[in-house]
Amino acid sequence: MGASITESRSAGADLSLQHNSLPAAARRREAIVAYALLSPAIILFLVFIAGPLVGAIVLSFFEWNLLTDAEFVGLDNYRQLFTDDAALAAVRNTFVFAFWSLVTHVGAALLLALMVQRAIPGVLKYVFRTAIFFPVIMSWASVSLIWLFILDPNFGFINHYLEQVGIPTKSWLLMPDTAMPAIIIVDWWKTIGFTFILILAGLQGVPAHLHEAAKIDGAGSVRRFRDITLPMLSPTLFMVAILTFIGAFQIFEPMYVMTSGGPLDKTVSIVMQIYETGFRRFEMGYASAMAIGVFVVILAVTLIQMRLSRYWVFYE
Amino acid sequence: MDARQPAEIIGSTRTSRRRVLTRSAQLGAAITGVVASGGIGSILASAKAPALLQDNALSGKVRFLVYGEAAQNQPVFDVFKQQYPDIELEVVGIEGASWAAFADAVTTRIAGGEQFDVVQIATEGQRLFASRGMIEPIDDLIERDAEELDGLLADFHPKLVEWCNTLSSPDGQTYFLPGEFNTMAVWYNTEIFAAAGVEEPSADWTWDQFLETATALTKPGEVYGMHASGAYFASVMPWLLTNGASPLNADWTEATVNTPEAIEAATFMRQLVADQVSPEPGGEFDAFATMAQGKLAMVGGGAWPGPFLAELDALEKVRIVPHPVNSGPGSPVGWNSYPIMKATQNREAAWALSKFYSSPAPAAFLQYQVPAQRSVAEDEEFLANKPEGFAYLYPALDYATPVPGPDQGSIIQQDIEDTFNQILVGNLEPEAGLNDLNGKIQSNL
Repeated sequence: MGASITESRSAGADLSLQHNSLPAAARRREAIVAYALLSPAIILFLVFIAGPLVGAIVLSFFEWNLLTDAEFVGLDNYRQLFTDDAALAAVRNTFVFAFWSLVTHVGAALLLALMVQRAIPGVLKYVFRTAIFFPVIMSWASVSLIWLFILDPNFGFINHYLEQVGIPTKSWLLMPDTAMPAIIIVDWWKTIGFTFILILAGLQGVPAHLHEAAKIDGAGSVRRFRDITLPMLSPTLFMVAILTFIGAFQIFEPMYVMTSGGPLDKTVSIVMQIYETGFRRFEMGYASAMAIGVFVVILAVTLIQMRLSRYWVFYE
Repeated sequence: MDARQPAEIIGSTRTSRRRVLTRSAQLGAAITGVVASGGIGSILASAKAPALLQDNALSGKVRFLVYGEAAQNQPVFDVFKQQYPDIELEVVGIEGASWAAFADAVTTRIAGGEQFDVVQIATEGQRLFASRGMIEPIDDLIERDAEELDGLLADFHPKLVEWCNTLSSPDGQTYFLPGEFNTMAVWYNTEIFAAAGVEEPSADWTWDQFLETATALTKPGEVYGMHASGAYFASVMPWLLTNGASPLNADWTEATVNTPEAIEAATFMRQLVADQVSPEPGGEFDAFATMAQGKLAMVGGGAWPGPFLAELDALEKVRIVPHPVNSGPGSPVGWNSYPIMKATQNREAAWALSKFYSSPAPAAFLQYQVPAQRSVAEDEEFLANKPEGFAYLYPALDYATPVPGPDQGSIIQQDIEDTFNQILVGNLEPEAGLNDLNGKIQSNL
């Protein structure tokens, strides 16, 4: 592996030398072609990401209800953010959701990937892989509606079978203590396939010869998992942890469709709160300040994760 | 054109979009059938309703925004086009979870640069639109066309006109002519009553009589006596109003949902669920389908259950009776209006459409809505194919209370439904829950 990296690097250096030896006109032409090829991505980035981001930052210093002229209010919207109980409750809800989402996704996806990789034979492996990934391609609206029926207190099949075995049933989505866990489970069912596929790909990238060598040295399966699989998989797990947290922190659809943020605001996520503030209360400036707040939180948590990764992520 | 849309009125009994669309299409087909049979002409003739003068010279384009699927009201649009052949009518439909949410969606689209000449707006959004300066006052047009409109205005229930000029107007100017509306009553399955040997209710029944009746009809696990839910218009409001309570005071400036009367109403509703007279809220319970199957004896409704029950072949076995009372009669009312938008470039054509929608012409097409014109609503032929008791819905205006539509109406509605659902399932004590709710509503006014 080390040799091949060296070879690639020297090949890259050769290309660089070749490029520098081109005439200036040819280099300019090459640069124009490169920018032309990049332009669709750059334009899309500017229009749909950078533009709205700058717009949100600017708007966050104004009070604006969409219909009348915006009024500059300085940092008022940010001050309000720190004293708004509803927004702080939404942040708390979102952290709870993101934490459990992270734990259940990474843990269960790792187990599922190990199971499919090692314990399931032949064609069944493909069937399992497809079955686990399938909900990922469904829309959140469809998934939410399906689960509304599954969790229905009067004719949902979960309550039906619980009754059959004598377990007390509930209105799962109406109870403050079960609504968020129910949504975490629905989210898990819907998105675990993506995490699973990434970890499975990571597992398949662990060189077999390391396991063989360890086996010859007498290492058991637990030891090999701890000392070979986990370290080799750690970059994948790190990436999965970051992606899962970012996705979870932006959760919106299941809360909007299944509970409307209830019961008693227990499932209002921060993105839902932004939506309500912007498009139901028409406080666009404050909603923008909240969005910037979410951006900062995600950035901060990601930076912390990257910092901590030094202690547990192993790069070959 | 329903003053309550299916997805909203069913409240906790959610209806899929696909089902609503299917039923809307069927309703459209039913309307077309009425047109084809020539029934509409005879209804209009017998109703002796005042006709509007038509200015056939009007022309240009009118963009008309409606709630729900535009196609379902095509026969009404066709009549308008016959009357005004040179006006190009472009109809745009927007879906929404509730009227209040629809009003929010319309505001967003208008802020995004879309322009409409006329918008269908229910009570919940009327003052909001007028106070945001999105609607054109029509006092000058009413004065100019006084001769033409006198008969029409006299044919409206006077309370509808009064509410349009007071509650729906932030500044005393007239922005709205009333359109079709919904009040609340109780629909019941006569076969369940007969099978249980229970006497059918009278028009002046009380809560106690209702509870006795509903309990007698209930067979745990088989038949529910009544469907009580957290649905704002269809369930919460009727129980509050028949006990002299309301979520807001008369001019929508103060929360009043924690009065002893409101607490008593919420406690009564909770009892229905606790005693299993009503199914537990919080799911996809389809009240109309359950009623058609003979498993639900009674459900609150305005005019809108009609097409649902017709589709289920259950119309023959249902009747309608006013809502039971405790302190006195009460019903919420929500009505549609078709105001002219301030941004219109074609005010006269928009005014023609606005007047048309408050005239008997489209009202006569309303199979399962209650027209604002008394002459049509009380017409024998209009009532002929409706379930017995449909005629109770119009006079309910005499004692009805407009569904509150303050500026943050959609947020307040969500809080009310959430709290009442919590009370119904027993998570909140009525008094504590309504005290909290009162604070929440007040903070949003």
